[in-house]
Amino acid sequence: MSQFDAGTPTDTLTAQSADPRSLLTQQRDGRFARIEPKGKRVHTARERAELLLDDGSFVEMTPLRTAGTRPDGTSTSSGVVAGWGTTDGSPVVVISHDAAVASGAIGAVMAEAIMKAQRFAIDRGHPIVYINDSGGARVPDGIFALHGCGGIFALNVKAQKRVPQISLILGPCAGAAAYSPALTDWTVMVKGQGQMFLTGPDIVKAATGEDATAEEIGGSQLHSVTSGVAHLEVNSEIEAFDATRLLLSFLPENKGAPQRRQGPMPANPFAVEKLPTLVPEKSSVVFDMNALLDGVLDNGARLELMPEHAPSILTLFGRLDGHPVGVVANQPASRGGILDSKASVKLARFVEFCGRFDLPVLTFVDVPGFLPGTVEESRGVITHGAKVLKAYAETESPKLTVIVRKAFGGAYIAMGAASLGADVNWAWSGSEIAVMGPGGAVALLNRRELAASDEPEKLRDELAAKYREEVARPYVAAEAGIVDDVIHPEETRDRMVAALRMLSSGTSTSSGA
Amino acid sequence: MISARAEIVGNIWKITSRVGDEVAAGDTVAVLESMKMEIPVVAPVGGHVSQILVELNQIVQEGDAVVEIDETASA
Repeated sequence: MSQFDAGTPTDTLTAQSADPRSLLTQQRDGRFARIEPKGKRVHTARERAELLLDDGSFVEMTPLRTAGTRPDGTSTSSGVVAGWGTTDGSPVVVISHDAAVASGAIGAVMAEAIMKAQRFAIDRGHPIVYINDSGGARVPDGIFALHGCGGIFALNVKAQKRVPQISLILGPCAGAAAYSPALTDWTVMVKGQGQMFLTGPDIVKAATGEDATAEEIGGSQLHSVTSGVAHLEVNSEIEAFDATRLLLSFLPENKGAPQRRQGPMPANPFAVEKLPTLVPEKSSVVFDMNALLDGVLDNGARLELMPEHAPSILTLFGRLDGHPVGVVANQPASRGGILDSKASVKLARFVEFCGRFDLPVLTFVDVPGFLPGTVEESRGVITHGAKVLKAYAETESPKLTVIVRKAFGGAYIAMGAASLGADVNWAWSGSEIAVMGPGGAVALLNRRELAASDEPEKLRDELAAKYREEVARPYVAAEAGIVDDVIHPEETRDRMVAALRMLSSGTSTSSGA
Repeated sequence: MISARAEIVGNIWKITSRVGDEVAAGDTVAVLESMKMEIPVVAPVGGHVSQILVELNQIVQEGDAVVEIDETASA
């Protein structure tokens, strides 16, 4: 008797569970039953994935996978809903923690399900969106949980070279559920609902005696303003999904994929009109760099990342001539537009990301320098500043730099200078470029003359004016060929558009323009 | 009482408010000189200036309170 000829073995089974169709229906009913979300949550893990994606596009991977069977015979979910779909018609892989199952804690099976989706995205070149809502490693799973979490981290790192990764924080995320986002590119937190920490209030209290709430240890305010762990803070889950789609609209599907060009839009005409007079002549007076960017970039969607962390540097995605671009700019309206440790880390991370995905980097420079002193040195400003130098020097995507007012010392180099590989760089006609500003330079170079002078104030002003004309004017740099050209403010956009077209031809398969 | 704080280390170059002044959130209450830049110290909330905590040419550190604002006295 062959194994295929076993008589009538299904008699008993059929009697119990009817036909295959109703068995599947029963299985699905068990697995897709809506469990009411807890706390401030409004949507289930599956609903979150569906809300992020284009209507009806979500396809769940391994929906019947279980993490084991309870004594009563029912099976428990793996704790994650993973699958794929589209945003604006482009494929995306989504991994959504199910906080209704053991607080979303990551067990061995859940880790396997997550890794399966990660591998799929890496192999096929699709961006990954992680919807995080998890207490971290599942304690009863012991070493198997830890082994699984480590596997997720390793794939996070592997994916870095291949596809954009975005993490949404929609609930308390502890331990492994906080580290995985930190290995992805951009993290979005929902205010009052999402937290990230190594461990929550109870264990903090037990470990060190510190009394702190979950919000104090890892709320969105802490991470978007102070720590820089999160890159965007939003007010609701729906806002988080909107922000994610907007972010994805600027990014290629994978390393080497075509950039997502759209039809070019002119700059804001009102901002263009103000451009020639926007920057105060006096280099000590602050202004809002956003108004300058309005006069250059396409007048369309933009997304600023880390707006409240290290705000002396602006990092944002926008478009120029329809081409997605990463924009870096000093913001004189905040701390004078200086570079310091935090601003350096923010800037370097952004430029490095743009380089990884071939996004052009546009740099707008008005920098008084690196902030010196004991506080910054103790924060390691040298190490962090060096990250900026490395990011620009290493980035192979098109780099365009324009000095709009002043660029002094090491900060001149750090802000995408020619020496670090800017493809084209310009200086506005009123700008100053030097090792240090006129005031400081004269105080150093003419110390003796100034000390001996009867009218040191007057002499200093005269010497500073002379220095400004002879040393710091952009023509010194242009005559040496270090700055490619000196331009009027209103010429900036056309120059950048022409350069970008030349630099991105061949690497970008445009359908938009 | 809410403090308007220095956002960067620097020298108090100008004090542009007086005790009793009514201020709105975002108004400049003093100006720092740092990195050769004129960096405003702004009121984080609206209210009345209740105390000036610095003198001209005093060095302040990042985060130091410069001016106290009483928001309950807001009109």
